[in-house]
Amino acid sequence: MNFREYKVGARFFALALGGSMTITLLLPSFDISSVSATEVALDKQLWAGHESGFSLDDPLLLGWHRPEKVILKTDPKTGQPIEATTAYVYDKGTPFPGGVLHPGNLGKVSERLSINEGHINEANKDQGAVFLVRSNDQKQYYIEDATVTRGWNPEQVLKAAGDSNTYYASAGKSIFVREGCWWCHTLLPEQTQDWQVFGAPPMLGDFNGESPTAFGSDRKAPDLLHVGSRNASKEWLMLHFFNPRLVQPHSIMPRFDYLWGKVDANGKPIDYDKWRKEYSEYTEGKRIYPPEVPMYASNSDARHLIDFILNLK
Amino acid sequence: MGWSFKDPLATLSDDETTEKNKKLWERELLGGLTEDNNPVPVPVVWLVLLTVITAFLVTFPLWGQRPTAELFLPYVQAMQNPEVMNAKNDDEAMKAIEKIVSQDPNANHALLERHPVSMDDLRMIGPQIEALKAHNEHLGDYTVVGPNVVIANFEGNYRPDGSRIRQQPWWDKGYTIDLFYLSYFFLAVFLMIKRLPPTTWQPRHGHVED
Amino acid sequence: MFKYLLAKNEDIPHGASAVYWGFSAIVWFVIGTGLGSFNAAKLAFPDFVTGYEFLAFGHMRQVHVHAVIFGWISMAFGMAMMYITPALGNTRLWSEKLGLWNAFLWNIGLSLGLVVLWAGMTSGREYSDFPWFIDLYIITFMVVPLGVNVWMTIINRRTQGIYTTNWFFGAATFMLAIVFTVGNLPEFFHLTGLTEAYLTWWFAHNVLGLWITPVAAAIAYYTIPKVTGNPLYSHRIGHLHFWSVVVFYSTPAAHHLMSAPLPEWLKSFASVEGVLILVPAIAFVSNILLTMQGKWNMFVENIEVRFTVTGCLMAIPLNMQGGFQQTRAINWYIHGTGWIVAHAHLALLGFSTFLEAAAVYLGLQSMMRRKLYSLTLANIHFWLLLIGFTTYWVSMTIAGLIQGAGKIYEVPYIDVVIAEHPYMIARWIGGTLVFVGNCFWLYNMWMTARAGTEVPQGRMPHELAYER
Repeated sequence: MNFREYKVGARFFALALGGSMTITLLLPSFDISSVSATEVALDKQLWAGHESGFSLDDPLLLGWHRPEKVILKTDPKTGQPIEATTAYVYDKGTPFPGGVLHPGNLGKVSERLSINEGHINEANKDQGAVFLVRSNDQKQYYIEDATVTRGWNPEQVLKAAGDSNTYYASAGKSIFVREGCWWCHTLLPEQTQDWQVFGAPPMLGDFNGESPTAFGSDRKAPDLLHVGSRNASKEWLMLHFFNPRLVQPHSIMPRFDYLWGKVDANGKPIDYDKWRKEYSEYTEGKRIYPPEVPMYASNSDARHLIDFILNLK
Repeated sequence: MGWSFKDPLATLSDDETTEKNKKLWERELLGGLTEDNNPVPVPVVWLVLLTVITAFLVTFPLWGQRPTAELFLPYVQAMQNPEVMNAKNDDEAMKAIEKIVSQDPNANHALLERHPVSMDDLRMIGPQIEALKAHNEHLGDYTVVGPNVVIANFEGNYRPDGSRIRQQPWWDKGYTIDLFYLSYFFLAVFLMIKRLPPTTWQPRHGHVED
Repeated sequence: MFKYLLAKNEDIPHGASAVYWGFSAIVWFVIGTGLGSFNAAKLAFPDFVTGYEFLAFGHMRQVHVHAVIFGWISMAFGMAMMYITPALGNTRLWSEKLGLWNAFLWNIGLSLGLVVLWAGMTSGREYSDFPWFIDLYIITFMVVPLGVNVWMTIINRRTQGIYTTNWFFGAATFMLAIVFTVGNLPEFFHLTGLTEAYLTWWFAHNVLGLWITPVAAAIAYYTIPKVTGNPLYSHRIGHLHFWSVVVFYSTPAAHHLMSAPLPEWLKSFASVEGVLILVPAIAFVSNILLTMQGKWNMFVENIEVRFTVTGCLMAIPLNMQGGFQQTRAINWYIHGTGWIVAHAHLALLGFSTFLEAAAVYLGLQSMMRRKLYSLTLANIHFWLLLIGFTTYWVSMTIAGLIQGAGKIYEVPYIDVVIAEHPYMIARWIGGTLVFVGNCFWLYNMWMTARAGTEVPQGRMPHELAYER
């Protein structure tokens, strides 16, 4: 350590940086990797799918290769009425979520049950799969591959559920990421006071398998982690997305009318210029009522995003 | 690399190393720049010390941010009091409860004041808190959120019985690591700067002997 | 500039790459602050430019952030490294050609990355928004070549010693490569859940703490002694600064997630370390201000010194905020509010931009051997930056305090939005002033290259009188 002696300095540097990385990366990794997935995490990763950000399966975040969440009221195979069951439909070629690919992420108990009872290791991407979240008598939650255990295949399940009971929440989450909703709407109620309004903060195991978590850091708008429990009105959400100032005059949210695409639910082209002109007249007081918001098509981005929002319970 | 411990607060190098260092220091122009050998000023040392102390003090958890089940237990227990049971309406019942609890030395009065509740709230959370108490749960681990009493999502230290403390502990292994980490840092930096020539000597820049 | 890309290394004039980096940085600064001003207008007036997906706030915000971090700040760093590193070793840059190619590939990669982000192709991870193929490009063609040039120049120096600035340059380029690789592991290997969230903020913290803050400070260690002619006050404080940056600044990542369910011990550890970032700050500020002894007139008279000392003074509120706002006692109030936005701009637009601007002013004049075209324009630039930034910082800090109060008193959110509105307008005005100032700067530097008075060999640009 002479003045102008750098060998020792370089070793000290390696020691300092290595020590820092040991404490901040290696030590917490033991804690974080030992976390077991909660019921919330199983549900979340199954509806959100493998990845909501950029991936080779959906490079433009347009909602390709996405699972659907459906509520079944009849058995898709026999057609007999059953108790309402939530199923997660992975069509052929849709990548499976982290917990199915790497059951170790689920935690020891859930991993054992998911493999032994749920047969998730038999799921096959080329054939597609239908997953369920199940629990045993001791309230231990696990994933079941209903394609193996019950012979349900994706097409049957989608048909049995029908469009009104199908939620494109996964495609919706990628729009949430793509459109940068999370630059203003956080997905993390804080551990202090604000959870009285926005709901309980998430628990430790609630994120297993989710990517990206998209907590957000710069909150300029309400937290959305539990928004589906506060507001479940599709009509309100539709107006709000088309032009937030239709339902909340002081909102600073951008208009997301372009998520409607070219045509409305009836296949009629949407005339945005006319709508904006009439809306301007309304804001200037020349019209009493704002123009009608067109109903979104059932395969539009708007539909997917609204399904995602309704799914945030 | 000779060490000398004659006067450790002045320099830890032996005379030969110091002389070599001095010569080099005076000779060298790094892109026309030079450096002086001034000591770390005493106010800076004090500021650094103050920072370390403050860092620990200010990081200890703020107590009582959130209302726990434990906080409302005195209220819930007071609900069984005949005076409360016989109250004409909720307002009077609440007043009676507050009166009873105000004499309870174990209640956290300051925090209760910040988390006011009504009889309606107590009717919803009361049975949940009693059920937890009947199960001998640690009430401090549960948080009251609106009408629900839920387990807090902190991952604190382990108790001797293996369960986890669901509150911010005042000391955990993070602080212990900090203590060691800081000690190593200050020791290393002290050794490093004390290997330099003593601060009583200042370089005459550009001065070249022989 | 482009003709030198295919020239032999020996034929490239000394300083060519620094000039290329420098002008690129200024252009990115104009673009980045222009985008910032546009985004701020959208927050103040939500119906300003509406109906186009690619002009929506959610598509533009990250473009602004990455244009200033990787375009302006990092390219200004590259510029500083290209001329300061060899100067301090009494030598020439190891490879001017590599420097030019590096800047060229940097501009290409960043443009590509920003277009990709603009289109919405994002990893959805704040500060590491670039998808993984852009991350790989950044590591391979942007970060590592810069590091190689700096390290090789230091190794081939003609002095025995390495000056403090070069410790920082060498270490920070190395740490940036590590941070970039490790921080993007969730994208390379699809790590999920809390691991993903934690590594996102490990990256975000360290890219600021181990790249932007130390390199900006290192630049001041060069500009102040160089321009004032004073020796650096204390080699010892330099040690305290360097080692505390490596040891303390690299550890508090978890303090960005104080309200997420990470292990409590990690938050406790990170929080104490977070306060200790005041140690490098105290060392840096004291060393620079003490070096100024006897030359304080230059704070008024000289543009580089004025920029540097202003940036250095901003390090005081910056680190007081940074140290304390992350503790449990304060974080619950201001987390996720405009206060943090103000703080981030104090770090990037205040502290570090002012230090870099000085380096770019000084470097372009020295490398082109041209005296600054107009001191008046430079003064206008300084004051527009300072007034614009201060307006921004004050208004966002107030907005943040309003949001914090709204959060704990459970005020309906829309009332908070209404209360913030005037400050959103003030923020937009502040940001626009900065943008206008940068347009003047670009013009001024362009004219310096075209019409600046020639600086004779062996003289510093500031020693010459202004001719116009």
